[in-house]
Amino acid sequence: MLQGTLDLLILRTLIFGARHGQGIARAIQETSEEELLVEHGALYPALQRLEERAWISAKWGISSNNRKARFYSLTAVGRKQLVKETTKWNRLAKAIARILGSAASEG
Amino acid sequence: MFRGRRKPDDFTAEVEAHLQFEMERLREQGMNEEDARAAACRNFGNVTQVRERFYESGRWVSWDHFWQDVRYGLRMLKKTPGFTAMAVLTLGLGIGANTAIFSLVNALLLKDLPYAHPERMGTIYMRTTGAEAADEQRNVDGEQWQLLRDEVPSLVSAVSSMGTNGVNLQAGSRVQYLHAGRVSAHYFDVLALQLILGRNYSADEDRPHGPKTAILSYALWRTTFSANRNVLGQAVLLKGEPYTIIGVLPEGATTTLNADIYTALQASREGEGGGTNFEPIARLRDGATWQQADAEMNRALARSLRVLSFAKNNPGEQRTYYFVPLQKAETDALRPRVLALMLAAGFILLIACANLAGLTLVRMLRRTSELATRLALGASPWQVQRQLWIENLLLALLGGAVGVEIGFLALRGLLALLPQHFLPVAKVSLDSRVLAFTLSLTLLTSVLFGMLPALVTRKVDLRSSIASRTVIAAGTVRLRQALIAGEVALTVVLIAAAGLLIRTLIHLETMPPGFNPNGVIAAKASLDNVRYHDPAAFRKLLDESLAAMREIPGVQSAALGLTLPYERALINGVILRDGKDAGQEISTNEVYVTPGYFDTLRIPVVEGRTFTQADGPDAQPVVVINQSFARKFLHAVDPVGRFLKIENKDVLVVGVVGDTMLSSAAELNAGSAPLTKEETIYVPAAQINPHFLPLVHSFFQPSWIVRTTGSVEGITAQMQRGLESTDPNLPFSGFYDMKDLMAATLTTQRIEVALLTAMASLALLLSAVGLFALVASIVVQKTREIGIRMALGSTVGEAMLQIGRSGVSASLVGIFLGLVVASGALRVMRGVLYGIGVYDPLTVAMVVFTLVLVTLLATILPTLKIVKIDPANTLREE
Repeated sequence: MLQGTLDLLILRTLIFGARHGQGIARAIQETSEEELLVEHGALYPALQRLEERAWISAKWGISSNNRKARFYSLTAVGRKQLVKETTKWNRLAKAIARILGSAASEG
Repeated sequence: MFRGRRKPDDFTAEVEAHLQFEMERLREQGMNEEDARAAACRNFGNVTQVRERFYESGRWVSWDHFWQDVRYGLRMLKKTPGFTAMAVLTLGLGIGANTAIFSLVNALLLKDLPYAHPERMGTIYMRTTGAEAADEQRNVDGEQWQLLRDEVPSLVSAVSSMGTNGVNLQAGSRVQYLHAGRVSAHYFDVLALQLILGRNYSADEDRPHGPKTAILSYALWRTTFSANRNVLGQAVLLKGEPYTIIGVLPEGATTTLNADIYTALQASREGEGGGTNFEPIARLRDGATWQQADAEMNRALARSLRVLSFAKNNPGEQRTYYFVPLQKAETDALRPRVLALMLAAGFILLIACANLAGLTLVRMLRRTSELATRLALGASPWQVQRQLWIENLLLALLGGAVGVEIGFLALRGLLALLPQHFLPVAKVSLDSRVLAFTLSLTLLTSVLFGMLPALVTRKVDLRSSIASRTVIAAGTVRLRQALIAGEVALTVVLIAAAGLLIRTLIHLETMPPGFNPNGVIAAKASLDNVRYHDPAAFRKLLDESLAAMREIPGVQSAALGLTLPYERALINGVILRDGKDAGQEISTNEVYVTPGYFDTLRIPVVEGRTFTQADGPDAQPVVVINQSFARKFLHAVDPVGRFLKIENKDVLVVGVVGDTMLSSAAELNAGSAPLTKEETIYVPAAQINPHFLPLVHSFFQPSWIVRTTGSVEGITAQMQRGLESTDPNLPFSGFYDMKDLMAATLTTQRIEVALLTAMASLALLLSAVGLFALVASIVVQKTREIGIRMALGSTVGEAMLQIGRSGVSASLVGIFLGLVVASGALRVMRGVLYGIGVYDPLTVAMVVFTLVLVTLLATILPTLKIVKIDPANTLREE
């Protein structure tokens, strides 16, 4: 996966509310229709990093099945960052698509 | 720094929760327990690796390493309790001295005065150009005060009397002696003090002959008036006249006078107002600037007679008035002294650091093999260095903690040494600024004493260090010798400075006083009282009270004088009547006395006679002069029988007496010795000008003196009764002997001597410790070498000499260096030395003697260990 992509995916996942680590991993996998297979362990350094940047905050809570879990939620800074990163990503994706598209037509 | 710090346990729990969620999900999909667990783990990836990444990503690693180093450092310090105790104590003393002195600097020079917007408060300075160039704080006269008050719209101005006067306050039946200050209307407005009861003086009350009103200090209100809120409007007898109480100051309020009770100044242009006797203070009005105020003031004061006559008499010279912040003006005199103390304290810290640098150097070198082993086991040089620095920091912090304690105690002792109101600030405390200073000092010391060992240990060579047991290079001994020489040099400067001050004090204290101070008891009372504006009542009081005191068994004689030797005397103008200076007006000290004065104090009569009861109000006015007066103004040619003109009366000189020591009021006459012999005239108390009497008594409180044979029990109570038998409402302000008077005059000198001597002793102690440690460590290092030498036939004495030489030579270099530095640096002390010069041979000799003695002690003691060296043992150990 591209550097920064995982961060973006995590932020995107949290937009609908707080989730714990496993929930985030599942959400990424499910919404990408199992296209993006994230090794769950890789999620945690990323969460750690985002938490340090204060883009997300974390709190221990009780899950729907009455289990203790650490819930992550988006901070105001994180929300702004998400918008910025998303725009950037879309532009990049479009640019890449254009390059790839023209390369395909040339070849 | 530690925000968001997360414990590894917390992270493990999160990972575990994750796995549980995943297993649950998989089980719901129909997997069995075992498969679910395996699949969850597979999905997660390497759990251990993730955990490690968490650990390393956090600050946990460096934090852990730091703690490890701290714990290791503490263990190392604990392993060498002698070194640690010595280092902490050395640092504690150095930092403590600095903390105490800095709190003075802080209170006097850094902190704001305890008033609202102190930067908007100022007082007047005057710059004079020309022959008598000066730039100093100035008081104003009555006319100038009126100009200042009425024609400088940028300011709220006020004036006060110069200092306080002793007065008697009678409230109800109780009479007490108090210090009264006189202040103009708006004085408390300038200070921005809000009265807790009542109001300030009105303009009407501040007018000459206006209604008599008084404002109480909080302390007086609490004690004498029992904090009674109905005190306002109450009448009290002050100076024998009724005054109405109109206000009470808040608790802890400091003023420029710090009086017990304040009355309105009621300044006029006559009498007191004819001279520059008023101390001005001013507060800038909102929106005004000091530039405006300066301009307005110069314009206004240029019209005053004093300035006009100066301009007439000194053409081409200029007087400029300007405002100086009150803070600066109040601390001007103390500033150089306090900064000198701070410098001395800095010296002590440097000495302490040099000592520690030497000690830690030896310690590091002893640990060379440990450091080498750590390097060999894979520690990076940075890790080793970090470890050493953390140990230094720990030492410094421990020293700093002890230093705060020592500083607190030292400050308490220092403040106990100072007389009341000696400092222009209400309190000196260890506040947060002082503590911050101490902390930065602590960090600085750790760098200062840690730098040298760190530099030396950087060069630790792995192989040779592990192989050999001792690796003390000759170079490090030389380095330590240099440190010792530096310490000793600083100590020499401090001891020389202290020595010069001690010699000055001894000179001042042992100057022949010109009278016999032993067996004299004195007591002051305030005659600033309408009852004694009448000369007849004044004479009756003197005659009757002195007669009563002469009756006391054991009292040889009793007398009264306006002032006593060691005190500051009244200055009056006298016109010379004959000789070539005829018609010239000179100023001289003037003292009124009763006939027994010279006899009671044993002031020798040189020529002619002293006063008798016959020198009464209606007899020929007479005067007794002292030798200085005779020499200076009458050229010592037959002074007896000549006339002087005093207050328009021709006065006959009937006698000449010996000079006595007087206070020169050094705080008023910068640069003059605190005790001097000056020209003085004595006039009979019975012949004092009646108009002069109230004015004189508003400035001075006369002293009753008795000479006793040996100690007389209950003498003070009997003297008080003697006074009460004449006037029951006249209390004495207290009793003292002539030594107390001299001590009071020499207060500043005594404080300087005490402080600087304490610091010099501390420096000497630290240097001695440093020297001792140097020699002791050389003895330990060279035990083997000495053993071999002795086995080859060297004697103990030779060995001691050889080892001791390194300490002695370092110290001698230091003494020499110190003398060179002192000969240059101590010239700044010239202004505070009396009776001796900066290059005082006796002081130099004492300094050298003291340091040589201490050097010998500090080197011989550790070399005594050599006696115990057994050559056979050392050789066997080899």
